[in-house]
Amino acid sequence: MDRLLRRRLEARFADKLTGPVRQRHDETELRIGAADLTEVMTALHDEPDLDFAVLADLAGVDTGNQMQVTYHLWSATTPDWLRVIADGLPRDNPRIATLTGLWPGAEWMERETYDMFGIIFEGNRDLRRIYMPPDYTSFPLRKDFYLADDAARSPGGGVRHMEQTHAPSQATERVVRRTVKA
Amino acid sequence: MTTHAPMGQHASEDDPRIMLDNQIGAFEAVPPYPPRTEREAEFYSLRDGEMFLNMGPQHPSTHGVLRVVLKINGEQVVDLDPVLGYLHRGVEKLCETSDYHHIISQVDPLEYVSSLFMEWAPVMAFEKLLDVRVPRRAEYIRVLTGELLRVSSHALFQGWMALDLGGLTPILYSFIERDEIVEMLAAITGQRMLFNYFRIGGVNGDLNHEFMSRLGDWMSRAAKQHEASIGLLNENEIFVRRMRGIGKLDKDTALRMAVTGPNLRAAGVPFDVRRAHPYSVYPELEFDIPVRGTRDGGDSLDRYLLRLDEVKESIRIIDQCLHNMPDGPVMARLPRLLRPRPGRAWAAVEAPRGLYGTYAISDGTDQPFRMKIHDPSFVNMQLVGMLMKGNLIADTMAVMASIDPVMGGIDK
Repeated sequence: MDRLLRRRLEARFADKLTGPVRQRHDETELRIGAADLTEVMTALHDEPDLDFAVLADLAGVDTGNQMQVTYHLWSATTPDWLRVIADGLPRDNPRIATLTGLWPGAEWMERETYDMFGIIFEGNRDLRRIYMPPDYTSFPLRKDFYLADDAARSPGGGVRHMEQTHAPSQATERVVRRTVKA
Repeated sequence: MTTHAPMGQHASEDDPRIMLDNQIGAFEAVPPYPPRTEREAEFYSLRDGEMFLNMGPQHPSTHGVLRVVLKINGEQVVDLDPVLGYLHRGVEKLCETSDYHHIISQVDPLEYVSSLFMEWAPVMAFEKLLDVRVPRRAEYIRVLTGELLRVSSHALFQGWMALDLGGLTPILYSFIERDEIVEMLAAITGQRMLFNYFRIGGVNGDLNHEFMSRLGDWMSRAAKQHEASIGLLNENEIFVRRMRGIGKLDKDTALRMAVTGPNLRAAGVPFDVRRAHPYSVYPELEFDIPVRGTRDGGDSLDRYLLRLDEVKESIRIIDQCLHNMPDGPVMARLPRLLRPRPGRAWAAVEAPRGLYGTYAISDGTDQPFRMKIHDPSFVNMQLVGMLMKGNLIADTMAVMASIDPVMGGIDK
């Protein structure tokens, strides 16, 4: 745990934080609003005392109540991994700025996140499905998309044809059975 | 009941049994729908003299099931568009509905040539969620088996690389090397490919006599065998000429493309998770991080040579593991049913192809709420599109092989 990093981040991004800077094991967690993403990431990448040069991961998260995009960064200036959580994306129309300006390599990671969650990365010039076929309409990693055998876990849910039930245009009910706090 | 057309009559368009050229849609390069993005529109419009060439999905040098649409002008590649997803099995979704122990076998087949690394990162992330301390002997065994597998993975890389350039012999030597290591690991894991060996809190079973005797046997000639494999290709003029100066990647571009692993180090950035963010017992071990192309970036040859350097370091690590291996248990004491407290954890390891990470979110049940798998090949694959522009079609394979992707990991 790099306590100094926490103080630096708290001082630098005081007005951007939407939650406390948390630390556990070798990770530091920074929580920001989705609208501030570009500004915060540019600062993290460019400022020499932060200098987060390596984008280790980009992940979408559907908490059941909202969408989040999580970034993991590495810098030589700290022994911790930095996790940036951009939260507060509405589940019905999640939109966030692209990171391809800073890391062009984020393009496919964003395509994957779009494919799995339907999160739209504004400014990504190639935002199309990457794993699923082009005529696919669902977003499989969303929490209202169930696997067929998953229905066994909830009595009365029944086994339904996934793609038919969860295509946004044809959905009759969209239930989230599992949520996580923030 | 279908009626047959009389003999000699030509196939007509309304005969459903005969597929005419203009009806085949599945493997046509140009998609049968309007472009969805700016980039797709740009790629799928042809200028004078250009044409599309479909490579794959069943092409031997695509290292799995990958389709690449090449836009070519004569022999020259103008642009290319990799099409993924042929091996997609939704492993992240599967992980959300399997319990923590079960996940180890779910992630095994991702990068099937180095599957221990695929288990390592998830196991580390879950250990963080559960605040488990892994016994030191287990950590040493993990490093030992992991580095063995790195040697075998890089040996296979060497063979594939030569195969893609038209040399058929080296792959046979690669498989001799791999077979010895795999047999060794089979002695402790019972498997030859998908080991399913790491456990949350340790490893499944201690080292045994057969493993140790095989390992001792292998170690006595590992260095010599490595020298021999270097001599097999490095002096070959055709091999060197087809790789030198092709697919040049510089430091800054590599970092911005989020590339990791040997491809990044061959571009002059000394980033290796084992040193950059030490895990397991790597801080106690002595080894160097080979770097190439520090002056003006690395080409395919640098990426190839760097992996050979890494094998040498791995042999050094294996040697130290054998000398420092402590006694003790190989598993932490844990309940059968794991229910970590709600929280998030990220763990990354240096797999043979780069940073392999797992991001796990627990909601307090026995299954992760969300599990993200970051595979290095997936990100590195983007380089193909970037490095290929302006090169010849035949060099596509050389560049792709030097990046060393494994489709199992890319498609997840």
